Amino acid sequence: MDAAEVEFLAEKELVTIIPNFSLDKIYLIGGELGPFDPGLPVDVPLWLAVSLKQRQKCRLLPPPWMDVEKLEKMRDHERKEETFTPVPSPYYMELTKLLLTHASDNIPKADTIRTLIKDLWDTRMAKLRVSADSFVRHQEAHAKLESVSLLGRNEASPSLRQEQTWLWGTAAWPQEEQAPPARSGPRARPPGDPALVLATEPSLSG
Amino acid sequence: MTEELDLTRQDSDEGSEELVLTPAELIERLEQAWMNEKFAPELLESKPEIVECVMEQLDHMEENLKRAKKEDLKVSIHQMEMERIRYVLSSYLRCRLMKIEKFFPHVLEKEKTRPEGEPSSLSPEEFAFAKEFMAHTETYLKNVALKHMPPNLQKVDFLRAVPKPDLDSYVFLRVKERQENILVEPEADEQKDYVIDLEEGSQHLIRYRTIAPLVASGAVHLI
Repeated sequence: MDAAEVEFLAEKELVTIIPNFSLDKIYLIGGELGPFDPGLPVDVPLWLAVSLKQRQKCRLLPPPWMDVEKLEKMRDHERKEETFTPVPSPYYMELTKLLLTHASDNIPKADTIRTLIKDLWDTRMAKLRVSADSFVRHQEAHAKLESVSLLGRNEASPSLRQEQTWLWGTAAWPQEEQAPPARSGPRARPPGDPALVLATEPSLSG
Repeated sequence: MTEELDLTRQDSDEGSEELVLTPAELIERLEQAWMNEKFAPELLESKPEIVECVMEQLDHMEENLKRAKKEDLKVSIHQMEMERIRYVLSSYLRCRLMKIEKFFPHVLEKEKTRPEGEPSSLSPEEFAFAKEFMAHTETYLKNVALKHMPPNLQKVDFLRAVPKPDLDSYVFLRVKERQENILVEPEADEQKDYVIDLEEGSQHLIRYRTIAPLVASGAVHLI
């Protein structure tokens, strides 16, 4: 699963917006949303929130955990502990990235937050590398993992799975773990597969 | 048969199973099937009922939108959602086709030797596709290379030539239903087998082979 697909899944997370328009309840296939009244907060999935924000139809509210003090505490806690500490949301990286890209004007101290989240991510990735390394070295056949996000697993997994299947001999752990690719421009759409397209490519509206 | 408001989907799959799901649950199931298919090393059971229901929902919504007033925002929100669902559906089907192409002789063999009553891993269309793919590959190899080989080397045994799916590859999973006594077989000979319990809601990294039946039954989800 590539980073774009992980982002696609992260976009289902609910965030709070303050719309500047009014609309009755809408009945999407995936559930009900709204009603929307100007000035009244309402929860919508991230994909909709970003689209509305791009069309200047709403303001985004940062989630309760996206606060400098709280994040500083989390980062320090993560650095102290050897194991993984609980994360604010399974998609904290993607949420941060999308919210800061599209709604940094709605989020106080956006740059500090970006740095804090990156620090948190780096600490966790380092732990993941260490534990994956030990997993391979000791030829473990099973591991229980709490609190490791999909993005984290994805970063680790191709190498982890490869090493496990070629278990004999020492497996070198890859040196670079890259942060998820930065995306520029409007909200990225999931990539299409050029070989077989069974439906039209999703198009961006707004 | 019950109806929940006007949102229920009822479906009898050739009279054998009745699924009563809300559309939201249906989409959940589709997304889960998509994730499972993406992370599993082999082709999983085909889910024609989910695919058909989702297509119906999409068509239904499309119809509604055509008839609806030209309220730009509402229509575009619905369209965005539909595009997202279409993406998941086509990605799911593409993933399956990729596996069919990759493992075509094994997939066909498995279908041939499938016992009665066991669900198929291929939908009728996928089965037709797999057979055609095999036939085309055979023809291609024959015309490009085999017919120029000495007579006793002109046969290709696809079952041996094409690699099998690696069921020993590791997968991440989340437990939906508590499982007890799952056997873990370490690779190294010095390590003994041991059993573990899978607690509901926990996440694990383990070899696919051990937990394959749990994926099929829905007791665990691949993540």
